[in-house]
Amino acid sequence: MITGAWICLLSPLAAAGLITLAGERISRRTAGYVATISCFVAFGGALASFIGLLGRGGEERDVVSTAWTWLSGGSYRSGFEILVDPLSVMMMLIVSGVGGLIVAYSLGYMDGDDEERRYFAYMSLFVFSMLLLVQGGNLLLLLAGWGMVGLSSYLLIGHWHERPSAIAAAKKAFVMNAIGDATMALAFFLLIKEAGSLEFGILGGEYGSTTANLVALGLLGGAVAKSAQLPLQTWLPDAMEGPTPVSALIHAATMVTAGVYLIVRTHPIFEQAPAIADLAAGLGAGTLLLAGLIALVQVDIKRVIAYSTMSQIGYMFLGAGLGAYANGMFHLMTHAFFKALLFMAAGIVIHALAAEQDIRKMGGLRQLMPRTYQAFLVGSLALVGIFPFAGFFSKDSILAAAMDHGAYGYVLWVAGLAGTFLTGLYTFRLLFVVFWGEPSAFVREHFHAIKRDVVGVSMGATVGVLTVLSIIGGWIQFAPWWHPIETWLETVAEPLVSPEGWQEGVSIALSLVLGLGGIYIAWLAYGTRRVAVPRQLALQRMLERKFYFDELYDALFYRPTVWAAKKLYRWVEEPIISGTMRELGEETRDVGGLVARLQTGLLRTYALAIASSVAVLAIVFIAVK
Amino acid sequence: MNGPSIAWYLAVAAFLFGTGSLGVLLRRNPLIVLLSLEIMLNGANLALIAFARHLGDASGQIFALAVMAVAASEVVVGLGLIVALNRKRVPLDVDRLSSLRG
Repeated sequence: MITGAWICLLSPLAAAGLITLAGERISRRTAGYVATISCFVAFGGALASFIGLLGRGGEERDVVSTAWTWLSGGSYRSGFEILVDPLSVMMMLIVSGVGGLIVAYSLGYMDGDDEERRYFAYMSLFVFSMLLLVQGGNLLLLLAGWGMVGLSSYLLIGHWHERPSAIAAAKKAFVMNAIGDATMALAFFLLIKEAGSLEFGILGGEYGSTTANLVALGLLGGAVAKSAQLPLQTWLPDAMEGPTPVSALIHAATMVTAGVYLIVRTHPIFEQAPAIADLAAGLGAGTLLLAGLIALVQVDIKRVIAYSTMSQIGYMFLGAGLGAYANGMFHLMTHAFFKALLFMAAGIVIHALAAEQDIRKMGGLRQLMPRTYQAFLVGSLALVGIFPFAGFFSKDSILAAAMDHGAYGYVLWVAGLAGTFLTGLYTFRLLFVVFWGEPSAFVREHFHAIKRDVVGVSMGATVGVLTVLSIIGGWIQFAPWWHPIETWLETVAEPLVSPEGWQEGVSIALSLVLGLGGIYIAWLAYGTRRVAVPRQLALQRMLERKFYFDELYDALFYRPTVWAAKKLYRWVEEPIISGTMRELGEETRDVGGLVARLQTGLLRTYALAIASSVAVLAIVFIAVK
Repeated sequence: MNGPSIAWYLAVAAFLFGTGSLGVLLRRNPLIVLLSLEIMLNGANLALIAFARHLGDASGQIFALAVMAVAASEVVVGLGLIVALNRKRVPLDVDRLSSLRG
């Protein structure tokens, strides 16, 4: 079982190393196959760990395997160790499973790209980093994986490095994530000071309320940065500059889900700091509304889906912050299915339209690519949470959990319900605009069907698998009737809330009605075009500029820094530092010029100087004596 | 102790040294400058040997031998330079050889 976990962790790393070292000795397609196979081997390893855990009793499902002592100093000691417990196994299955499907899909999507080998090496590295993050047996390894995920995402978002916008997006993602990494590191320093260790076990210890609050706040900072929640959300839409499978990987299997995992993993500290846990839930609720609103006006097919991710992660934060850990993790899983599906279906559309992503140029693709349409429809229904698709089961139980958290919970509940309505509206706006109506002029001109070759199979088969998962994946848990995921995670993270049956019922009914309402309005406005879309220019502009967050950060951080730097250059660097150096040089040269006059080049002057000096010295010597 | 006293020897040495230094300072032909330098060295050698003899200490004579060896090598280098200058048809005049001016 533990061998399976090690295989799961190391096989993507081995693939990344192999592709890098082999270089041009292997063909591009071989590199792709190596990466794909390594991910599926990792999935096999995860499956073996899962089966191994199933064979154990509830309390024994917690296995640590230490490879070596990684760091030690004084009484502090940190091993390179992996942890296999229900939570990490669940994440391993999602990361390697969905990740493997996405890498397999890339075989087709990236076919013919100039730098395919580099792409697949980075993809494997990305999967490895995420696996390290979820399998790391202590907080330090978790942080190492955390940083490596940031690095891999930077490398992949900037994959098309000849595009300035891609480089800018990669840098933005990296910097935003670095802020979160820093707050996490600060929290860990505090933990080392208080508890002297970074084992997961110390999180359950007793801390003063200030310490607990600070540590939880630091961890929350890391989580919101990685998961693109308020207020560090601005990098995620820009990250769409990367290739579509990268977006799918970032959004579905890796990276953005890390924040939710972190909160669930470190929940004991959040339970000691209820204010921060409430803050996490509140940030989630805020993000899900904000992202839902912005998604309404976006015109880039991938950006709409990106905002839907932010919104859905908001639900997970809502659940995890309230203590409904299993519900948050369950939504993480179903979301991985349907978000990967949506991105990959969108990727097929982009592929068929010669890399066009603007939905205003699309339309009428339903007749041209019916299977993609069906897959996209399933993904959209799952995203909105319509019975019996995957999102229905997971989203509603988060909403029900919010009802069991007092008055604050009800506020969040209302926000979540409003979010459901928005989800229906923006998702089906996208669907109707892209697939319904008559083929637009652009589509008629540029559309080319994907052939049934390796490319078509790789893209078609993976989308097919995810379509099936998006339909049936939610049935694993149907609160309150059966809840195997909650039972599975109970030993790691016992839920703090237990909604009543009627609360589940009300949530299910209301969110279903609101979701359908959103779809209906989208159908009126975009499907049949019977209702004109209201023109609210000020509001629309505000949404298009994403609530001016970029401008705000620009004004708050970027410009003052540049201003200060320019002033420092003008008043300090230029006159004091450069000036000193310049003056020193000039003075030295002037003095040198004076001394150089002594150097006449006339041999007899030198001889005379020597002779007279010796004479003077001799006279002085004699006189003194 | 026979012969003239040490003062005579020193007087001759001073005369040689003075002649040499005047030659170095006044003459413009490098060849003559080099010869004058040799005369200065020999004046010094004479003083060294005279003192060695006067004090009964052999180290002065050994030192004079060392000076001769140095003088010989110096002449070799100096004469080589002068021959090279002549071959390049550079005027043999130390006042006109002043391109090392700062």
